[in-house]
Amino acid sequence: MSQEKLLEVKNLKQHFKTGRHSVVKAVDGISFDIYKGETFGLVGESGCGKSTTGRSIIRLYNATDGQVTFGGEDVHGKKSKAKLKEFNQKMQMIFQDPYASLNPRMTVMDIIAEGLDIHGLVNNQQERKARVHDLLERVGLNKEHASRYPHEFSGGQRQRIGIARALAVDPEFIIADEPISALDVSIQAQVVNLLKDLQKEHGYTYLFIAHDLSMVKYISDRIGVMYFGKMVELADSEELYKNPLHPYTKSLLSAIPLPDPDYERNRVRTEYNPADHDTSETPEFREIRPNHWVLCTTKEFEAYKKEIKN
Amino acid sequence: MENILEVNNLHVSFDTYGGEVKAVRGVSFDLKKGETLAIVGESGSGKSVTTRAIARLIPSPPGRIKEGEILFDGKDLAKLSDKQMQAVRGKDISTIFQDPMTSLNPTMKIGTQIMEGLIKHQKMSKSQAKERTIELLELVGLPSASERVNQYPHQFSGGQRQRIVIAIALACNPKILIADEPTTALDVTIQAQILELMKDIQKKTESSIIFITHDLGVVANVADRVAVMYAGKIVEIGTADEIFYNPKHPYTWGLIGSMPTLDSTEESLVAIPGSPPDMLNPPKGDAFAPRNDFALEIDKELEPPMFKVSDTHYAATWLLHEYAPDVEPPEAVKRRMKGFANTGAASSGEGDQA
Repeated sequence: MSQEKLLEVKNLKQHFKTGRHSVVKAVDGISFDIYKGETFGLVGESGCGKSTTGRSIIRLYNATDGQVTFGGEDVHGKKSKAKLKEFNQKMQMIFQDPYASLNPRMTVMDIIAEGLDIHGLVNNQQERKARVHDLLERVGLNKEHASRYPHEFSGGQRQRIGIARALAVDPEFIIADEPISALDVSIQAQVVNLLKDLQKEHGYTYLFIAHDLSMVKYISDRIGVMYFGKMVELADSEELYKNPLHPYTKSLLSAIPLPDPDYERNRVRTEYNPADHDTSETPEFREIRPNHWVLCTTKEFEAYKKEIKN
Repeated sequence: MENILEVNNLHVSFDTYGGEVKAVRGVSFDLKKGETLAIVGESGSGKSVTTRAIARLIPSPPGRIKEGEILFDGKDLAKLSDKQMQAVRGKDISTIFQDPMTSLNPTMKIGTQIMEGLIKHQKMSKSQAKERTIELLELVGLPSASERVNQYPHQFSGGQRQRIVIAIALACNPKILIADEPTTALDVTIQAQILELMKDIQKKTESSIIFITHDLGVVANVADRVAVMYAGKIVEIGTADEIFYNPKHPYTWGLIGSMPTLDSTEESLVAIPGSPPDMLNPPKGDAFAPRNDFALEIDKELEPPMFKVSDTHYAATWLLHEYAPDVEPPEAVKRRMKGFANTGAASSGEGDQA
């Protein structure tokens, strides 16, 4: 894997006003990088801000504070129309709910070609048709499907249409926001395999947001764990599963049910209590060992270092 | 161990404009006292319809129980009148639904919702019922129960609401608890808590649980026995160890292979190709054949019967017929089977106990 940074997130904050005096700090100062060609997994329970992070990165929300740079350019800065269009082409999104994210009144052909039209990537009807047919085949559907409407498809097929739409404009970076949560187990594997194959062929970079940890571990190169708007741990996926350090990561890992009765009988769950932390100072994001970052105070930092040596 | 429930050759259909949808096509199983039976399968496989038929919660029309018996406590539930069924439902058989956000009445205090069953079935007075309600809420682990009985559902989180739904289901000490994807809408950490709670309660009350889910991880956690459903039929049934470590049906292979374990390596997941069949016109022969890489010629013509693998383990696939060719299951499944071969004797001993 090349170590070229594609996306840099620095101290990103996304706060929502919910009343005159109340503010929800959905994302509260997180930083991470995504390298070219890798899959970065983002996990956490509902409400931890993982989807908000994805949406802020793609500029669906205007960030409250912090910086997101994509290919060296600031995402949230002021942009001319042409610049914005260029950016939109490079970054695409696959949404969670394949039932809600496709316009029921458009044919599959028009849904997929919408991006092509906006970005002027095709010159005539024939080319447009050919591109859509090619995309449909790439995601495992066939060209007869192009004239149909979304309601004629199953959940898994719809998610494939959503993927084809994201791929249409030849993006570099794709944000997949819980792309498989709404699907059946057997279909989940189909979609995950598809995403992996496409990445191998075209070298896409993914931000994969999910709460299903075993799937995230399977697809991601690196994983960030979020809790209450903060990134609490970030490491290579193997490392994270073998040596989780932050107590929240540990509790999350111990809660995943695995399809193995023997393991399940002997599973010991650890519970996370935020009050157990050292509160003598504000925790910072520190690197315990190369590429393994944890949110901790100096005291905890030393303790984690010791823990990982053993 | 004694059977508390026996389902024989159950058929459930729905009449629609497009024709008759055969959602359940001949399901038979039994449920033993104090055990947890998990029913797995993808959406549309008929797992929810089967259990709703048992609780007689199928709206009719359009639904109807076409054929079959549901034997419980010397009665055939399929033949009871609505009125007679009301005395069973909520008392002997109760249900926990999937979505705690919608299965509570938003306009009623949660205490009142729990008391309903107690007053109706246990003939308790209001004050007795309230006392018992507080006990129940404490049992399901809701803190400061005596104050919270007077609150409304929106004042609780998703996990807490599911605890309340469980309290309602447990109110009358049911003999059978039907849990229809009780944790699917919850986060993993909350899910783990709820599962532990249900197991705890089962130990205390000795009720039997039918647990519906499509998450095999959850199945491994809770189930004594597992039934795998596909296209309205049970295609494989056995103890949890038999299903996970010695699966025989290709559909079960597909389900198990499509779930990554934490130590799975780079190889791709075993996905089940295609999508489930249209139950308006179920295909001839084995319904799974079009998606089955291991399908034989005969699968297209004739539906396989249940073949016996062991006393507790049955599977409906022609691969178990004596003339069938030897077929190797996919790598991901074989890896699990190896573990079973080593500990086989020990695990099957455990299975008998359960």
